[in-house]
Amino acid sequence: MDQKLEGKPSATLRLEGRKVTRSEITNHWGTRLQWKVSRDGKEIATATAGPEPVFEHAEATPGKYEIVLQQFHYVSYAKDKDGKFTASKYVDISEPVTYTV
Amino acid sequence: MLHIGNEYIPLCSGSSRRSFLQFGAAAMTGMTLANLFKLQAAGAVDDKKAKIRNCITLFLVGSPGQHDTWDMKPDAPEDVRGKFRPISTSVPGVQICEHFPRMARVMDRVALIRSLNYNTGSSHENGQRWMMTGHDFNAANKQPYMGSVISRVFGPKGDLPASIVLPVGIGNTGTSTPHGQESAFLGSAHAPFFLGSDPARADFKVADLEPPKGQTEFRVEARRKLLTEIDELQRQVETSSTLERDTAYARAFNLLTNPTTKKAFDLNEEPAKLRDRYGRNTFGQSCLMARRLIERGSRFVTVNQFDTVFGISCWDMHADGGSLNNTYADYEHVLCPQFDLAFTALLEDLQQRGLLEETVIAVISEFGRTPKLNSRGGRDHYPSVWTNFLAGGPIRGGRVIGSSDKIGAAPHDRPVQPSQVVASIYQAMGIDLETTMLPGPGGRPIRFIEAEPIRELFA
Repeated sequence: MDQKLEGKPSATLRLEGRKVTRSEITNHWGTRLQWKVSRDGKEIATATAGPEPVFEHAEATPGKYEIVLQQFHYVSYAKDKDGKFTASKYVDISEPVTYTV
Repeated sequence: MLHIGNEYIPLCSGSSRRSFLQFGAAAMTGMTLANLFKLQAAGAVDDKKAKIRNCITLFLVGSPGQHDTWDMKPDAPEDVRGKFRPISTSVPGVQICEHFPRMARVMDRVALIRSLNYNTGSSHENGQRWMMTGHDFNAANKQPYMGSVISRVFGPKGDLPASIVLPVGIGNTGTSTPHGQESAFLGSAHAPFFLGSDPARADFKVADLEPPKGQTEFRVEARRKLLTEIDELQRQVETSSTLERDTAYARAFNLLTNPTTKKAFDLNEEPAKLRDRYGRNTFGQSCLMARRLIERGSRFVTVNQFDTVFGISCWDMHADGGSLNNTYADYEHVLCPQFDLAFTALLEDLQQRGLLEETVIAVISEFGRTPKLNSRGGRDHYPSVWTNFLAGGPIRGGRVIGSSDKIGAAPHDRPVQPSQVVASIYQAMGIDLETTMLPGPGGRPIRFIEAEPIRELFA
């Protein structure tokens, strides 16, 4: 019996300056959470989203930053020859927040 | 008669006309015979005379590597220490894997055993039998599952079975030998009740709690009345010795028709936030159901995290590129986070409800994994040393019992055998292993287990 993930997770983000605070996650799949950071439309970093709901990306290079909360969507264990999941992947579970440096 | 705790057990048994009626009851309800027999009561000990505790066992089928979870070796060579880093916990000096941040906060309630080992083979089934029965396998003398022993000694506390396995039994893990979740010489009356369904599914139903197709609850009720009439007729012709109240088929009907009993399995009664806290996945929702069942009278609930090691994401990280292709990626993205969320939710939920003091949580697995990463970056089976842990009941948390050597290859001190873990669970549940005997094959009284509990867990 493979793990069945129920429902679709979601959270809301609140931005104060460059500090992002997430709400409780509804329909939490239990899989890993991460913050995805993009600058000027290009992904530049990901960071584990632990039990603490607050995140602040340290980088201060000028540009327009977008931060979104993601969760790993497990579909199957299948991986390619490099060991990367082929069907399972991270999906956005919040609307992004943006700020400019 | 044999004295087992507060219970008198007849040493001789045989089939009676009532047994045949119970077969009939099973057929009429659509409940499988195997599960009906599991529900046959042998009588309960008097809860008022003994401090009886419950147990929830989380069985991590596949077995996590000790280096990558609860016995990290950050100073070992790279091909031993692996990919993950340790983090500090609420217990000074005790570190665990970075992917268990919630567990790190509750380590003061957990007792790690870092020196578990055995040397009788490294198949999954061998480890399952060791950890589920406390005995090495002997085909000529199969040993009962812990839940069956508890069912035999304590009996049911209400309408629910004393011993339940969630969500399903263990299936194919490599060889076609038993998995240690059988009642053996205790008989089918004490085999666990297998849920047989995934509680994380939106359309979840317990297979044995649904009337068969074409049977309405009205028809089931009509058949219960008919059975009652037949039973009454039979009572008039039986001797007084056979007129003892036998609750087995009543309990079968109760499971099928009693709304309260059925509600025990209904996770929709739980607040959505709490369901989220456990994790909306098969393991998390099974842990939540385990709490519901313990709260409502079951005594021993096992959650099998997986029913196989093939073709799924599980702890069996051989990284073989085929059907056993679990890797660090599975640990990091799926397994560790799901366990961290569910285990800590269970611990905190039990504590908030005042149930942790009377409920032992045992997190166990078949074996450890090889100290040195294999050529594909995985780890293989390794029963020479590994880590499991206990919490709740009388278990003293915040401690580490035993240790492994510098590369996690062998016990460094205080080696612990699986049988000692099982003996500790029995003791933690309130069984005095020195004064209480178990009816063995043929009714001969035997010791529960030939091992001493781990005294440091209780000191």
